[in-house]
Order: sequence, then C-alpha cells, then structure tokens
Amino acid sequence: MALTRRDFLKLGAFVAASTALASCAPVYRRLAGNLHLVPWMPLNAHDFMSLNRLTFGPRVEDRARFAEIGLQAFIEEQLAFDSIDDLECELRLSPFKTLNMEANELEGISNQLFDNYDREKIPHELRQATLLRQLYSKRQLYEVMVEFWSDHFNIFIEKGSCFYLKTVDDREVIRKHALGSFRDLVWASAHSPAMLAYLDNQANEKSHPNENYARELMELHTLGVDGGYAQRDVMELARCLTGWTVKEHFWLGDFVFKDDIHDVGIKNILGMTIANAGIKEAEQVIETLAAHPSTARFIATKLTRRLVADEPPRELVEKAAQTFLNTKGDIKAILRVILLDGLPVAQPKYKRPANFVLSALRMLHVETDGVAIHDHLLRMGQSYFNWPMPDGYPDRGGPWQGNLMPRWQFAFELIRNEIKGTKTRLKALMDVSELDDLQDEVDAVSSLLFGAPLASVTRDGLINSVLSAGATEEETLQIVTAGLLASPAFQWR
Amino acid sequence: MLPTLTQTLPTWMPRLAFAPHNVVPRGDTLVVVFLRGAADVLNMVVPHGEEAYYQLRPSLGIPHPDDANTKNEERTIDLDGFFGFHPSMRALLDAWQSRQLAIIHACGAPDESRSHFKAMELMERGVEDERGPASGWIGRHLATLNTGNSSPLRAVGMGTRPQRSLSGSVPVSALRSIVDFHLRGDQRALQQMRTALNTVYKDDILGQDTLSIMDTLQTLNPLTYFPSHSAKYPDSEFGLALKQTAMLIKANVGLEVSAIDIGGWDTHFAQGASIGQMANLMEDLADGLAAFHADVQDHMKNLTIVTMSEFGRRASENGSLGTDHGHGSMMMVLGGNVLGGKVHGKWPGLREGQLIGPGDLAVTTDYRDVLSEVLVKRLNNSATDEIFPNYSARLPNVIT
Repeated sequence: MALTRRDFLKLGAFVAASTALASCAPVYRRLAGNLHLVPWMPLNAHDFMSLNRLTFGPRVEDRARFAEIGLQAFIEEQLAFDSIDDLECELRLSPFKTLNMEANELEGISNQLFDNYDREKIPHELRQATLLRQLYSKRQLYEVMVEFWSDHFNIFIEKGSCFYLKTVDDREVIRKHALGSFRDLVWASAHSPAMLAYLDNQANEKSHPNENYARELMELHTLGVDGGYAQRDVMELARCLTGWTVKEHFWLGDFVFKDDIHDVGIKNILGMTIANAGIKEAEQVIETLAAHPSTARFIATKLTRRLVADEPPRELVEKAAQTFLNTKGDIKAILRVILLDGLPVAQPKYKRPANFVLSALRMLHVETDGVAIHDHLLRMGQSYFNWPMPDGYPDRGGPWQGNLMPRWQFAFELIRNEIKGTKTRLKALMDVSELDDLQDEVDAVSSLLFGAPLASVTRDGLINSVLSAGATEEETLQIVTAGLLASPAFQWR
Repeated sequence: MLPTLTQTLPTWMPRLAFAPHNVVPRGDTLVVVFLRGAADVLNMVVPHGEEAYYQLRPSLGIPHPDDANTKNEERTIDLDGFFGFHPSMRALLDAWQSRQLAIIHACGAPDESRSHFKAMELMERGVEDERGPASGWIGRHLATLNTGNSSPLRAVGMGTRPQRSLSGSVPVSALRSIVDFHLRGDQRALQQMRTALNTVYKDDILGQDTLSIMDTLQTLNPLTYFPSHSAKYPDSEFGLALKQTAMLIKANVGLEVSAIDIGGWDTHFAQGASIGQMANLMEDLADGLAAFHADVQDHMKNLTIVTMSEFGRRASENGSLGTDHGHGSMMMVLGGNVLGGKVHGKWPGLREGQLIGPGDLAVTTDYRDVLSEVLVKRLNNSATDEIFPNYSARLPNVIT
C-alpha cells in the first residue's frame, strides 16, 4: 500500500488500464470551468518523465500539447523559445522594476535603500522573478536551462555587491545566452561584474595575483577538475586576469579592464605562450577553454546528468561532447542530442527542493504571489542564489535525501491553504471533469501528479486509512492529495 | 533530563540485554565540525615562534604575544611558547588549560588538487582518489559498528542536507531546527496527516525514521532549554547546531554522531588579521565550541569533538589581504579523554625549502590517522581498513 519509488517506476504499467478506463469513466469529460483547463488524459510513464525534465512539472496544457505533437516537436517548440508568447508571465513580473536596471541604477537605489534598511529589495525581486518564471512561463525548457546555468555559473547573492550585481548577471549572462552558444556564455560570465566580484577577481592585481576566479574558471566553468590543468596554469591564468575588474566610479558596477594593475609579463598556460596583449590575453585563453575537448566533455556530462540520469550514459555523453565540438558549443544542438537520445532512456531523478515545490504548484495549477514560498525553499535548503560555494546546488539526488520534514510541511500547508498569498483550488480542478466520486477525484489528482492514476488497491488503501482517521470526504481529498505530494513517489521525477 | 523520555523507553533504544553476539557497546558520541572553504589555520593556531610567518604575512600576520606595538587584545595568545591562538579563539583557552583540547597542526590529506570540491569529496568519503567507495567515512563507521542502536537519531546532519561523510547504508536525517520539526494543525488534522504519511511511507525507512524523530523531538522544548554551567551559545546557525546536539545528547535519544558545518572560510579577499571577516568566523567557532564544552561538561567522558577543513591556505598572503588555496591544515580534538593542552604533529616549518608546491604548509599527519585513533579508542570501531580503504593508519597518540 505504501507508495515507494518502485511504484513510481511501475506506474507505467497502470497506464494502459487507466487509459481504457478513461474512455468510459466520467473522469475526463468536459471543458474547464474557471481554471480554463481541458480535462486531462493519463500519460505513459516515459512521456511523463520526459515532460518532467523539459518543464518544472507539466501543467494540463503541457500534457495536451505533448500528446498532440509528440516529443520531438515539443522539444523543437520549446527550443524556439522566443517565438512562444509569454505575455501573461511578463505581466506578472511587471512590478519588479529592478529586473531591467543597469548596475549603476541598481547601486543608486541600493544606496537609498540602505537609508530605509531595505537591502533586500533587489535580491527579493530577482528571487521572486525566478520563482514566478519557473511557475508561470510557457518557455519552460528555457527556464530549465536558466536554472542549469545559474548553478553552473553559481553566484552567491549575499556576497558583497553581488546582491545587486547578480540582477545584471542574471539578465545579461544567464538569460541572454541560456540557449545560445557556450562560448558566448562563458565569455559574458568572465566579463560579468557579479562573477568577478563573487570570485574576488576585483582584487587580482599584478603585485599579488588572486587565484580564486582563475581556478574556478577552469575547474568549474570549463575544463573540469580533471580536465588537464595544473596549479601552475591556475597561477598563470590569474596573471592574465589581473586588471579584470568592476568600475568604482562613472558607470559604477560595469566591467572594466585596468591596464595599470595588469601583469605585463609573458605567461604560459596549457602549453600556450601568451604574449603581452592586455585584456586580449585572458580573452585568448577563454576562447581556448571554451573550445577545449575537456570542456565539451565536462559540459556534456553535466547537462546529461541534469536532463537524463544522475549517472549519465557514457555513450550519450560522448555523442553530446562531439556535438559540442562540431557546433562550437551550440547549446540547442547539444540539447537536441541529449534530449532526443537521452529522454527515452532517462532514469528517475530525486527532485531538488525547487523541483519539488514547482512541480506541486504547476501540476495542481496553484495560484500564488510567490512571496511565502521562498521560506519553504529556504527550509528545504534551496533558496535561490543562496549557495555560498561556486559549484552550485548539487544536482545528484544523494545530498537532498534525508530532509523530508520541510517537504511534508509544504505539502500539507499548500493543500490546506495555509501558505500566505497562495491558493490551491482542488474543488475547481475537480469541476473541470465534473467529478464528485472520491475515488475518481483521487484518480484525477494522481494522474496530475504521477501521469496516471494509482493502482486501485493503493488508492483505496490510502483513502480508507484517512477516512478511518475520522476525516470527512472533503477533508479526505485534501489529506490524500497532500499525502501524495509528501509521498516517496512524488519526490522523484 | 526530560521525564517523558526516562519514563517510557522508545522502542528503538538500544537494548543490550537482548542484543545479538556481534553487538558491541557504543562508544563516545562523536561531533564532527567541518570548516567549509579551507580555513586559514596559520592564523588560527599561529606559529608565532616562526620568523618566516611574519615575513610571509606582513599585513595579515597575527602580532606576536610580546609585540609591544599592538594592543594586548590583538596579539596572539601564547599556548606553548611557539604556537598561539588567534585572539578570537580566546574562548577555547578553558578547554586548552583543562587539557581537554588537543591540536594537530600541519594535518591534512594527500590530495594536492587545491580544489575545494575535490578535496572535500575525497575527505568526506575518506578515500585517496575517485575510485574508492562512494559512501562517506562516517556512513561506513555506522555500517561496520553494530551498537544495537536503531534510533533514527543515531546519526544526524545538522542543517538542511545530510553531509556527504554520513552517506551510506544507514539512513541519516538532516535536522535544521528542533523547534520547526513538526506538522501544523489541530489534533484532528494532525491525526489525519499522520495516518496519510504512515500509509505512503509504510515501507520506507527514511520516512518512518522521520515520523519517529518527529515524535521524539516533540518531547523536547528548545524554548525552555537552559544550557548547563551558564553556557552561552552564539546566536548563529553554528551555535544552534551545537545547542541542538547538546539537547539530543542530554535527552539520551540514541545520538551517536552529529555532523555540523560552519562555512565562509574561503578567504581570498580581505580576510582581516586580529579583527575582521575571518576573526568573526573564528569567534563563532570558538565561542560555539566553548559553550558546547561547558554545556555538556557532565558528559565529556563520553564525548569527542573533531574539527576539520578540506585543506589549508597559502603561507604567504595575497595582494588582496587574503590567502589563496594551500595544502596543510589543522585539526582540533576536544573531549574528556584527549591528550589535551598540547600541539601535536611534526611542524614542517615555513621557510623556503620547507614549504611545498606554490608555497604551502606541508602535511605531516594524515587526517585519517587522527580519525582512526578516535574510531579505535573512543568509538569501539576497529574496522578502520574498511572506513579508510587502502590506508594503514599510524595512530598519532592524541587520545589517552
């Protein structure tokens, strides 16, 4: 009766049966009421898993679209993100004026804000925007990639001036190039004031180089720790990067290269001799790093881990790495390979907190202003831009397992409508399909959450246990739904 | 002690009378504090007797204990004529003087990648390179030592994610806040939620553990917890983690290992000297450990606390009043059975020719030697060859 990870894997088996059931049951009958939804059909386990990788959790309309056009066309549609109309989401972001400000404007208002003790305004707006985009944007794959690159080029928003510079980095580095070319992405990141401030390159001067950014540029952003560089390469790259810093006066907060603190000696990196060329020295190294086979393999591995399986299939990684090299790091081309070849063999992944929260909110079509959700993410350990170390939030499941309580708290508080500014409308969801039988209702909910209804014995066991604890029918639907969100099976995607 | 816990013994408490043969009595409670980000140990336990130290650190060096040109409170606090505490570590003097605190200097791992992530991973797994077992060294300790204790609180990772060192075949829970560890609602609703969770987690050990932990923690009330011996914990995540560890120890709920992180040690920039960014971190560390030491004084005979960090920092300061990644680090061992009041380990020196790589403190004691001694002498676990595979430990004699 318990819902285990094994059940999650077996769900596919129930789909055939429930599809047949659906054609005669009243479950999936009619057009939506105030939710503007069409009734939803069960999906087979693999399609559901694919949708869970391409989105932050499929909404009813994602399922319908996927069923209509199939995996390949769905991927193409999502990759062409700028042709997807996203007005509704943009309207939700319109109150957040800081999102579009330049660094000097942000610095200006952050100074004013200091007087009012509201240092949180800028990071809060960025966190809010991130959550609302993941929740409401129709450009879901794009947002999935924004999340990926935000981890890859991690910046801890609480470090120094990052609290306002990260807003510019998010817009001009991550979002600008999330589905562009990797070379442009790493190039933009290297010229990003937030990154230079975060990894102390502001303090990297010829008299005494600071190795922090140089090391992570090779270890975490491009080659990978075993990508074939040595401590000496780190020190030499640090020398190339002397003078890469952030303006402190006019157009404050912008990138600047300062000749006077640049180390003008000859450098040797990865077997290359770098002649005196000011800013061009590090730029030449960045070009080399961005096109390096180790980088191709490292990025391919990380992308495959994120989208396919914690232990990425080696052949797929090799193929994706080859595509990386052939296309000079065209992210869309690499994704096509990983998604088309990888999704059919994808393995279940443990949901990170943001995945867990977002999938609940999206699958149940919850309406929220987002504000109170951040506290829940913090308790689960994944508040946005809050990872201090430069490696980004862990992707593998292991580190996230063993902290169930805040997920349970979220599940029950969400369904019992105890989260401020957040409204779950189970009844309205049920009205979409004109359901009033408890078993049918639980089938409809579990179809939203798991792709297809549960085995009837599992469903009835859960319903009966809650009823026998003294719940009314209406309470039972709530508690069962929350129990499903809290269940082991829903922790996987 | 809380009456509810002494009156009814939870079913998962160790019952040695009925225990199978291979069960051994548990040893000390182990508290492992990990300083994330590679702490600059040369400014924590300062080799003030070494002239090279002051040459390498003209701005960042912590003034000599006899330096008449600086204020007394900014000078190194002498420990043994050669080493001394940073002034922000003053709170640990009590433990040092009562010989319950040992320091092992120039201690660390063989890995020379100078990568936080690689070094932390290898150290938490307790392995020499990637090929070793994926589980953590504490996870393997728990798996190789049957104490008959099936408490879900046997090992706890303080914070929002259980530490890598804890991973293994024994499920481990993260615990950020005892006061928050419950579901909200009236009795009726709680009953229903509980039933639903019981049903969906019927076959899941971690879920069942979480439910038991919830029950156990409900009997503790952090709001009315008064530390013993007027100990004052710092108002920080680290202070909270230690205080909660003390609560669990005193409540006797089966805690064998508590893993605690304290972050922020990656001080490339403006780390400060006697005062500043890193001094504040050291104060949090030292005040926290000192408060814990006072609070659990009555349990000290059965308690060992270890601090560690993934590597040390460059011996010379960088141009940004900070320090870059180095090699040799330092460990502290605090407990009732420690050969304390002594800086252990061979000091490799800071002069040219003594430093290694780009100018880093050498490692003369492997961190696994220290941990092995704790495992063997205090935790009743002799399976160190499984816990640290392909490594034969030489016990450094830091424990009585």
